[in-house]
Amino acid sequence: MATTATIADIAEFIPEGKLSNQDLELLYPSWPASKIYEKTGIQNRGIAAPDQTAGDLAQAAAQALFARGKVRAEDVDFIILCTQAPDHVLPTTACILQHRLGVPTSAGALDVNLGCSGYVYCLSLAKGLIESGAANCILLLTADTYSKYIHPLDKSVRTLFGDGATATAVIAKEAERSAIGPFVFGTDGSGAEHLIVPAGGFRRPASAESAEEFRDGSDNVRSANNLYMNGAEVMAFTLREVPRTVDKLLDKAGLARDQIDYFVLHQANRFMLEALRKKMKIPSEQMPVRIEEVGNTVSSTIPLTLISMLQLGLLDTEKRLMLVGFGVGLSWSACILTI
Amino acid sequence: MSEFHKGIAEILEIDESAVNAATDLHAGEAAWDSLAVVSTIALIDDCFNVMLDGQSLTNCNTVGDIEALIEAARKA
Repeated sequence: MATTATIADIAEFIPEGKLSNQDLELLYPSWPASKIYEKTGIQNRGIAAPDQTAGDLAQAAAQALFARGKVRAEDVDFIILCTQAPDHVLPTTACILQHRLGVPTSAGALDVNLGCSGYVYCLSLAKGLIESGAANCILLLTADTYSKYIHPLDKSVRTLFGDGATATAVIAKEAERSAIGPFVFGTDGSGAEHLIVPAGGFRRPASAESAEEFRDGSDNVRSANNLYMNGAEVMAFTLREVPRTVDKLLDKAGLARDQIDYFVLHQANRFMLEALRKKMKIPSEQMPVRIEEVGNTVSSTIPLTLISMLQLGLLDTEKRLMLVGFGVGLSWSACILTI
Repeated sequence: MSEFHKGIAEILEIDESAVNAATDLHAGEAAWDSLAVVSTIALIDDCFNVMLDGQSLTNCNTVGDIEALIEAARKA
Protein backbone atom coordinates (compact mmCIF):
# COMPACT_ATOMS: atom_id res chain seq x y z
CA MET A 1 0.00 0.00 0.00
CA ALA A 2 1.10 3.51 -0.73
CA THR A 3 -0.23 7.03 -0.32
CA THR A 4 -1.97 7.87 -3.57
CA ALA A 5 -4.01 10.78 -4.90
CA THR A 6 -7.66 10.34 -5.77
CA ILE A 7 -10.58 12.60 -6.68
CA ALA A 8 -13.08 12.68 -3.79
CA ASP A 9 -15.66 15.07 -5.23
CA ILE A 10 -16.25 17.80 -7.85
CA ALA A 11 -18.59 20.80 -7.94
CA GLU A 12 -19.22 23.68 -10.32
CA PHE A 13 -20.45 27.23 -10.58
CA ILE A 14 -21.72 28.81 -13.80
CA PRO A 15 -22.64 32.52 -13.55
CA GLU A 16 -26.29 33.50 -13.98
CA GLY A 17 -25.60 35.84 -16.90
CA LYS A 18 -26.27 34.11 -20.22
CA LEU A 19 -25.36 34.79 -23.82
CA SER A 20 -27.55 32.83 -26.26
CA ASN A 21 -27.27 32.21 -29.99
CA GLN A 22 -30.35 34.43 -30.41
CA ASP A 23 -28.44 37.28 -28.73
CA LEU A 24 -25.48 36.68 -31.06
CA GLU A 25 -27.58 36.44 -34.22
CA LEU A 26 -28.63 40.07 -33.70
CA LEU A 27 -24.97 41.13 -33.77
CA TYR A 28 -23.75 38.92 -36.63
CA PRO A 29 -26.35 38.97 -39.43
CA SER A 30 -24.32 36.51 -41.55
CA TRP A 31 -24.46 33.89 -38.79
CA PRO A 32 -28.02 32.80 -37.91
CA ALA A 33 -28.52 31.17 -34.49
CA SER A 34 -29.05 27.77 -36.14
CA LYS A 35 -25.67 27.96 -37.89
CA ILE A 36 -23.89 28.94 -34.66
CA TYR A 37 -25.45 25.95 -32.92
CA GLU A 38 -24.72 23.56 -35.77
CA LYS A 39 -21.02 24.52 -35.89
CA THR A 40 -20.26 25.01 -32.20
CA GLY A 41 -22.76 22.72 -30.47
CA ILE A 42 -23.28 25.62 -28.08
CA GLN A 43 -26.65 27.21 -27.30
CA ASN A 44 -25.82 29.30 -24.22
CA ARG A 45 -22.69 30.63 -22.53
CA GLY A 46 -22.43 31.69 -18.89
CA ILE A 47 -21.22 35.28 -18.64
CA ALA A 48 -19.78 36.79 -15.46
CA ALA A 49 -21.28 40.10 -14.31
CA PRO A 50 -19.04 43.18 -14.65
CA ASP A 51 -18.16 43.03 -10.94
CA GLN A 52 -17.86 39.21 -10.84
CA THR A 53 -14.28 37.92 -11.15
CA ALA A 54 -12.73 34.49 -11.69
CA GLY A 55 -11.94 34.58 -7.96
CA ASP A 56 -15.66 35.04 -7.23
CA LEU A 57 -16.59 32.15 -9.53
CA ALA A 58 -13.93 29.92 -7.96
CA GLN A 59 -15.16 30.83 -4.47
CA ALA A 60 -18.73 29.89 -5.41
CA ALA A 61 -17.57 26.56 -6.89
CA ALA A 62 -15.56 25.79 -3.73
CA GLN A 63 -18.54 26.63 -1.54
CA ALA A 64 -20.71 24.31 -3.66
CA LEU A 65 -18.09 21.59 -3.11
CA PHE A 66 -18.05 22.11 0.67
CA ALA A 67 -21.88 22.11 0.74
CA ARG A 68 -21.80 18.57 -0.69
CA GLY A 69 -20.19 17.48 2.57
CA LYS A 70 -17.35 15.22 1.43
CA VAL A 71 -14.64 17.74 2.25
CA ARG A 72 -14.70 20.76 4.56
CA ALA A 73 -12.79 24.02 4.28
CA GLU A 74 -10.84 23.11 7.43
CA ASP A 75 -9.61 19.87 5.79
CA VAL A 76 -7.92 21.68 2.90
CA ASP A 77 -4.14 21.99 3.19
CA PHE A 78 -3.38 23.25 -0.34
CA ILE A 79 -5.24 25.40 -2.87
CA ILE A 80 -4.39 25.34 -6.57
CA LEU A 81 -6.28 27.86 -8.71
CA CYS A 82 -6.01 27.58 -12.48
CA THR A 83 -6.99 30.88 -14.10
CA GLN A 84 -5.93 33.31 -16.82
CA ALA A 85 -8.07 36.13 -15.46
CA PRO A 86 -6.68 36.72 -11.95
CA ASP A 87 -8.43 39.22 -9.65
CA HIS A 88 -5.22 41.29 -9.42
CA VAL A 89 -1.81 41.33 -11.07
CA LEU A 90 -0.68 40.56 -7.53
CA PRO A 91 -1.30 39.11 -4.99
CA THR A 92 -2.11 35.55 -6.01
CA THR A 93 -5.87 34.98 -6.26
CA ALA A 94 -5.51 31.58 -4.51
CA CYS A 95 -4.15 33.42 -1.43
CA ILE A 96 -7.23 35.67 -1.34
CA LEU A 97 -9.43 32.58 -1.66
CA GLN A 98 -7.73 30.94 1.35
CA HIS A 99 -9.12 33.74 3.50
CA ARG A 100 -12.48 34.04 1.78
CA LEU A 101 -13.13 30.30 2.02
CA GLY A 102 -11.98 29.91 5.62
CA VAL A 103 -9.22 27.48 4.69
CA PRO A 104 -6.62 27.20 7.50
CA THR A 105 -3.63 29.56 7.29
CA SER A 106 -1.40 26.45 7.45
CA ALA A 107 -2.45 25.68 3.84
CA GLY A 108 -0.33 26.34 0.77
CA ALA A 109 -1.86 28.26 -2.14
CA LEU A 110 -0.79 29.11 -5.66
CA ASP A 111 -2.19 30.13 -9.03
CA VAL A 112 -1.45 28.32 -12.27
CA ASN A 113 -1.63 30.40 -15.45
CA LEU A 114 -2.79 27.86 -18.01
CA GLY A 115 -5.92 27.64 -20.14
CA CYS A 116 -7.50 24.64 -21.77
CA SER A 117 -4.70 22.24 -20.80
CA GLY A 118 -4.78 23.48 -17.19
CA TYR A 119 -6.96 20.92 -15.43
CA VAL A 120 -4.75 17.99 -16.37
CA TYR A 121 -1.61 19.95 -15.42
CA CYS A 122 -3.13 20.83 -12.03
CA LEU A 123 -4.04 17.18 -11.44
CA SER A 124 -0.37 16.33 -11.99
CA LEU A 125 0.64 18.97 -9.41
CA ALA A 126 -1.97 17.69 -6.95
CA LYS A 127 -0.77 14.13 -7.41
CA GLY A 128 2.83 15.20 -6.86
CA LEU A 129 1.99 17.10 -3.68
CA ILE A 130 0.00 14.22 -2.23
CA GLU A 131 2.16 11.30 -3.26
CA SER A 132 5.31 13.06 -2.04
CA GLY A 133 3.64 13.56 1.35
CA ALA A 134 3.58 17.37 1.08
CA ALA A 135 -0.22 17.70 1.25
CA ASN A 136 -3.28 15.57 2.03
CA CYS A 137 -6.32 17.48 0.81
CA ILE A 138 -6.04 19.70 -2.21
CA LEU A 139 -8.69 22.13 -3.36
CA LEU A 140 -8.16 22.27 -7.13
CA LEU A 141 -10.05 25.24 -8.57
CA THR A 142 -10.49 26.18 -12.23
CA ALA A 143 -12.07 29.54 -13.04
CA ASP A 144 -12.01 31.87 -16.01
CA THR A 145 -13.81 34.89 -17.37
CA TYR A 146 -12.61 35.03 -20.98
CA SER A 147 -15.77 37.06 -21.78
CA LYS A 148 -14.00 40.05 -20.25
CA TYR A 149 -11.22 39.76 -22.86
CA ILE A 150 -13.53 39.30 -25.85
CA HIS A 151 -14.68 42.12 -28.12
CA PRO A 152 -18.49 41.97 -28.50
CA LEU A 153 -18.16 42.02 -32.30
CA ASP A 154 -15.59 39.21 -32.59
CA LYS A 155 -17.77 36.23 -33.54
CA SER A 156 -14.73 33.94 -33.94
CA VAL A 157 -14.36 33.74 -30.14
CA ARG A 158 -17.56 35.18 -28.70
CA THR A 159 -19.60 32.28 -30.10
CA LEU A 160 -17.34 29.79 -28.29
CA PHE A 161 -16.22 30.90 -24.85
CA GLY A 162 -18.27 30.92 -21.66
CA ASP A 163 -17.32 31.82 -18.09
CA GLY A 164 -17.40 29.25 -15.30
CA ALA A 165 -15.59 27.56 -12.46
CA THR A 166 -15.14 24.15 -10.88
CA ALA A 167 -13.79 22.81 -7.60
CA THR A 168 -12.22 19.36 -7.30
CA ALA A 169 -11.15 17.77 -4.03
CA VAL A 170 -8.01 15.68 -4.56
CA ILE A 171 -7.25 13.70 -1.41
CA ALA A 172 -4.75 11.15 -0.10
CA LYS A 173 -5.81 7.54 -0.01
CA GLU A 174 -3.88 4.38 0.92
CA ALA A 175 -4.11 2.12 -2.14
CA GLU A 176 -2.13 -0.31 -4.27
CA ARG A 177 -2.28 1.92 -7.34
CA SER A 178 -2.75 5.61 -7.89
CA ALA A 179 -6.07 6.62 -9.45
CA ILE A 180 -4.39 9.52 -11.28
CA GLY A 181 -1.68 9.09 -13.91
CA PRO A 182 0.45 8.43 -15.78
CA PHE A 183 0.74 11.76 -17.57
CA VAL A 184 2.12 13.08 -20.83
CA PHE A 185 2.75 16.78 -21.43
CA GLY A 186 3.53 18.97 -24.39
CA THR A 187 4.39 22.60 -25.04
CA ASP A 188 5.05 24.60 -28.21
CA GLY A 189 5.64 28.26 -27.46
CA SER A 190 6.22 28.96 -31.15
CA GLY A 191 2.43 28.98 -31.39
CA ALA A 192 1.92 31.51 -28.58
CA GLU A 193 0.64 34.15 -31.04
CA HIS A 194 -2.23 31.96 -32.23
CA LEU A 195 -4.27 32.26 -29.03
CA ILE A 196 -3.38 35.45 -27.22
CA VAL A 197 -4.40 38.69 -25.57
CA PRO A 198 -1.58 40.72 -27.18
CA ALA A 199 -1.62 43.80 -24.89
CA GLY A 200 -2.14 44.38 -21.18
CA GLY A 201 0.93 42.60 -19.83
CA PHE A 202 4.39 44.15 -19.57
CA ARG A 203 5.57 43.17 -23.06
CA ARG A 204 2.95 45.54 -24.42
CA PRO A 205 1.17 47.58 -21.74
CA ALA A 206 -2.43 48.57 -22.45
CA SER A 207 -2.54 52.06 -23.96
CA ALA A 208 -4.68 54.24 -26.19
CA GLU A 209 -2.84 52.69 -29.13
CA SER A 210 -3.46 49.08 -28.02
CA ALA A 211 -7.15 49.91 -27.56
CA GLU A 212 -7.55 50.94 -31.21
CA GLU A 213 -10.13 48.72 -32.84
CA PHE A 214 -9.76 47.14 -36.25
CA ARG A 215 -11.81 44.83 -38.48
CA ASP A 216 -10.21 41.60 -39.74
CA GLY A 217 -10.74 39.77 -43.06
CA SER A 218 -13.63 37.77 -41.58
CA ASP A 219 -15.44 40.92 -40.47
CA ASN A 220 -14.59 40.55 -36.78
CA VAL A 221 -13.74 43.61 -34.67
CA ARG A 222 -11.14 43.60 -31.91
CA SER A 223 -8.21 45.53 -30.45
CA ALA A 224 -4.86 44.33 -29.11
CA ASN A 225 -6.44 44.35 -25.64
CA ASN A 226 -8.86 41.62 -26.71
CA LEU A 227 -8.57 37.87 -27.03
CA TYR A 228 -7.43 36.79 -30.49
CA MET A 229 -7.64 33.25 -31.85
CA ASN A 230 -6.21 32.06 -35.14
CA GLY A 231 -8.77 29.31 -35.61
CA ALA A 232 -6.99 27.67 -38.53
CA GLU A 233 -3.69 27.34 -36.66
CA VAL A 234 -5.39 26.11 -33.50
CA MET A 235 -7.34 23.53 -35.49
CA ALA A 236 -4.19 22.33 -37.27
CA PHE A 237 -2.30 22.13 -33.95
CA THR A 238 -5.12 20.17 -32.33
CA LEU A 239 -5.50 17.67 -35.16
CA ARG A 240 -1.73 17.17 -35.18
CA GLU A 241 -0.98 16.88 -31.45
CA VAL A 242 -4.06 15.38 -29.79
CA PRO A 243 -4.06 11.99 -31.60
CA ARG A 244 -0.30 11.76 -31.06
CA THR A 245 -0.70 12.55 -27.36
CA VAL A 246 -3.41 9.92 -26.94
CA ASP A 247 -1.18 7.27 -28.50
CA LYS A 248 1.78 8.33 -26.41
CA LEU A 249 -0.20 8.07 -23.19
CA LEU A 250 -1.63 4.65 -24.09
CA ASP A 251 1.91 3.52 -24.74
CA LYS A 252 3.22 4.98 -21.48
CA ALA A 253 0.36 3.46 -19.47
CA GLY A 254 0.72 0.09 -21.22
CA LEU A 255 -2.94 0.19 -22.18
CA ALA A 256 -4.80 -0.67 -25.36
CA ARG A 257 -7.39 1.76 -26.67
CA ASP A 258 -10.25 -0.62 -25.79
CA GLN A 259 -9.15 -0.55 -22.15
CA ILE A 260 -10.24 3.10 -21.91
CA ASP A 261 -13.92 3.47 -21.03
CA TYR A 262 -14.22 7.18 -21.84
CA PHE A 263 -12.09 9.81 -23.56
CA VAL A 264 -12.81 13.14 -21.85
CA LEU A 265 -11.40 15.84 -24.10
CA HIS A 266 -11.25 19.57 -23.54
CA GLN A 267 -14.63 20.81 -24.78
CA ALA A 268 -13.41 23.35 -27.33
CA ASN A 269 -16.49 23.24 -29.58
CA ARG A 270 -18.52 20.51 -31.23
CA PHE A 271 -16.89 20.87 -34.60
CA MET A 272 -13.36 20.37 -33.24
CA LEU A 273 -14.46 17.48 -31.00
CA GLU A 274 -16.12 15.75 -33.95
CA ALA A 275 -13.04 16.22 -36.14
CA LEU A 276 -10.87 14.68 -33.40
CA ARG A 277 -13.32 11.88 -32.75
CA LYS A 278 -13.43 10.97 -36.43
CA LYS A 279 -9.66 11.12 -36.77
CA MET A 280 -9.08 8.94 -33.71
CA LYS A 281 -12.03 6.64 -34.55
CA ILE A 282 -13.55 6.88 -31.08
CA PRO A 283 -17.25 5.89 -30.86
CA SER A 284 -19.40 8.87 -29.86
CA GLU A 285 -20.74 7.04 -26.78
CA GLN A 286 -17.16 6.91 -25.47
CA MET A 287 -16.54 10.62 -25.91
CA PRO A 288 -18.83 12.59 -23.59
CA VAL A 289 -19.74 16.14 -24.57
CA ARG A 290 -20.90 18.93 -22.29
CA ILE A 291 -20.88 22.19 -24.13
CA GLU A 292 -24.44 23.10 -25.15
CA GLU A 293 -25.44 25.11 -22.09
CA VAL A 294 -22.01 26.36 -20.95
CA GLY A 295 -19.76 26.86 -23.98
CA ASN A 296 -15.98 26.48 -23.93
CA THR A 297 -15.11 27.27 -20.31
CA VAL A 298 -11.32 26.90 -20.79
CA SER A 299 -9.77 24.93 -17.88
CA SER A 300 -13.22 24.07 -16.49
CA THR A 301 -14.47 22.03 -19.46
CA ILE A 302 -13.01 18.67 -18.38
CA PRO A 303 -14.26 18.78 -14.76
CA LEU A 304 -17.66 20.09 -15.96
CA THR A 305 -17.88 17.07 -18.26
CA LEU A 306 -16.89 14.76 -15.38
CA ILE A 307 -19.72 16.24 -13.29
CA SER A 308 -22.27 15.55 -16.02
CA MET A 309 -20.94 11.98 -16.35
CA LEU A 310 -21.38 11.51 -12.59
CA GLN A 311 -24.92 12.90 -12.80
CA LEU A 312 -25.78 10.60 -15.72
CA GLY A 313 -24.58 7.59 -13.71
CA LEU A 314 -21.81 6.78 -16.20
CA LEU A 315 -19.32 6.54 -13.34
CA ASP A 316 -21.47 4.52 -10.88
CA THR A 317 -18.99 1.66 -11.21
CA GLU A 318 -15.25 2.24 -11.46
CA LYS A 319 -14.20 3.45 -14.89
CA ARG A 320 -10.89 4.19 -16.57
CA LEU A 321 -10.85 7.58 -18.30
CA MET A 322 -8.36 9.39 -20.44
CA LEU A 323 -8.40 13.17 -19.93
CA VAL A 324 -6.88 15.34 -22.68
CA GLY A 325 -6.44 19.13 -22.43
CA PHE A 326 -5.07 21.30 -25.24
CA GLY A 327 -4.97 24.95 -26.21
CA VAL A 328 -3.47 28.31 -25.33
CA GLY A 329 0.33 28.24 -24.89
CA LEU A 330 0.33 26.25 -27.00
CA SER A 331 0.10 23.66 -24.27
CA TRP A 332 -1.32 20.16 -24.00
CA SER A 333 -1.47 17.28 -21.56
CA ALA A 334 -3.22 13.98 -21.00
CA CYS A 335 -3.60 11.57 -18.12
CA ILE A 336 -5.36 8.41 -17.08
CA LEU A 337 -7.97 8.85 -14.34
CA THR A 338 -9.63 5.94 -12.55
CA ILE A 339 -12.80 7.17 -10.95
CA MET B 1 -12.46 13.76 -54.65
CA SER B 2 -16.19 13.08 -54.10
CA GLU B 3 -16.00 13.10 -50.30
CA PHE B 4 -14.00 16.30 -50.50
CA HIS B 5 -16.48 17.90 -52.90
CA LYS B 6 -19.36 16.90 -50.64
CA GLY B 7 -17.63 18.51 -47.67
CA ILE B 8 -16.81 21.67 -49.61
CA ALA B 9 -20.46 21.91 -50.70
CA GLU B 10 -21.52 21.78 -47.05
CA ILE B 11 -18.97 24.40 -46.05
CA LEU B 12 -19.91 26.81 -48.85
CA GLU B 13 -23.62 25.98 -48.48
CA ILE B 14 -24.03 25.16 -52.17
CA ASP B 15 -25.27 22.08 -54.03
CA GLU B 16 -22.71 19.27 -54.33
CA SER B 17 -23.31 19.01 -58.09
CA ALA B 18 -22.15 22.64 -58.41
CA VAL B 19 -18.69 21.84 -56.99
CA ASN B 20 -15.85 21.55 -59.51
CA ALA B 21 -12.36 22.96 -59.91
CA ALA B 22 -13.71 26.25 -61.25
CA THR B 23 -16.13 26.81 -58.34
CA ASP B 24 -15.63 30.26 -56.86
CA LEU B 25 -15.13 30.00 -53.08
CA HIS B 26 -16.83 33.33 -52.65
CA ALA B 27 -19.96 32.36 -54.61
CA GLY B 28 -21.81 30.39 -51.93
CA GLU B 29 -24.28 31.42 -49.27
CA ALA B 30 -21.52 31.15 -46.68
CA ALA B 31 -18.54 33.50 -46.69
CA TRP B 32 -15.06 32.11 -47.36
CA ASP B 33 -14.10 33.30 -43.86
CA SER B 34 -12.06 31.98 -40.96
CA LEU B 35 -14.76 29.47 -40.01
CA ALA B 36 -14.88 28.10 -43.57
CA VAL B 37 -11.08 27.82 -43.60
CA VAL B 38 -11.04 26.00 -40.26
CA SER B 39 -13.71 23.62 -41.53
CA THR B 40 -11.73 23.01 -44.72
CA ILE B 41 -8.53 22.23 -42.80
CA ALA B 42 -10.37 19.51 -40.88
CA LEU B 43 -12.03 18.23 -44.07
CA ILE B 44 -8.73 17.93 -45.95
CA ASP B 45 -7.04 16.25 -43.01
CA ASP B 46 -9.91 13.75 -42.92
CA CYS B 47 -10.02 13.10 -46.70
CA PHE B 48 -6.33 13.21 -47.61
CA ASN B 49 -4.44 13.06 -44.30
CA VAL B 50 -2.57 16.26 -45.11
CA MET B 51 -2.53 19.49 -43.11
CA LEU B 52 -2.72 22.78 -45.02
CA ASP B 53 -1.92 26.11 -43.46
CA GLY B 54 -4.68 28.62 -42.90
CA GLN B 55 -3.11 31.53 -44.73
CA SER B 56 -2.62 29.61 -48.00
CA LEU B 57 -6.20 28.39 -47.81
CA THR B 58 -7.51 31.88 -47.08
CA ASN B 59 -5.77 33.09 -50.24
CA CYS B 60 -7.49 30.50 -52.47
CA ASN B 61 -10.17 31.73 -54.85
CA THR B 62 -11.47 28.50 -56.37
CA VAL B 63 -11.87 24.83 -55.42
CA GLY B 64 -9.11 24.16 -57.99
CA ASP B 65 -6.73 26.37 -56.00
CA ILE B 66 -7.40 24.23 -52.92
CA GLU B 67 -6.92 21.02 -54.91
CA ALA B 68 -3.56 22.31 -56.14
CA LEU B 69 -2.49 22.93 -52.54
CA ILE B 70 -3.59 19.41 -51.58
CA GLU B 71 -1.62 17.91 -54.50
CA ALA B 72 1.50 19.90 -53.58
CA ALA B 73 1.22 18.84 -49.92
CA ARG B 74 0.78 15.17 -50.84
CA LYS B 75 3.91 15.24 -53.01
CA ALA B 76 5.95 17.06 -50.35
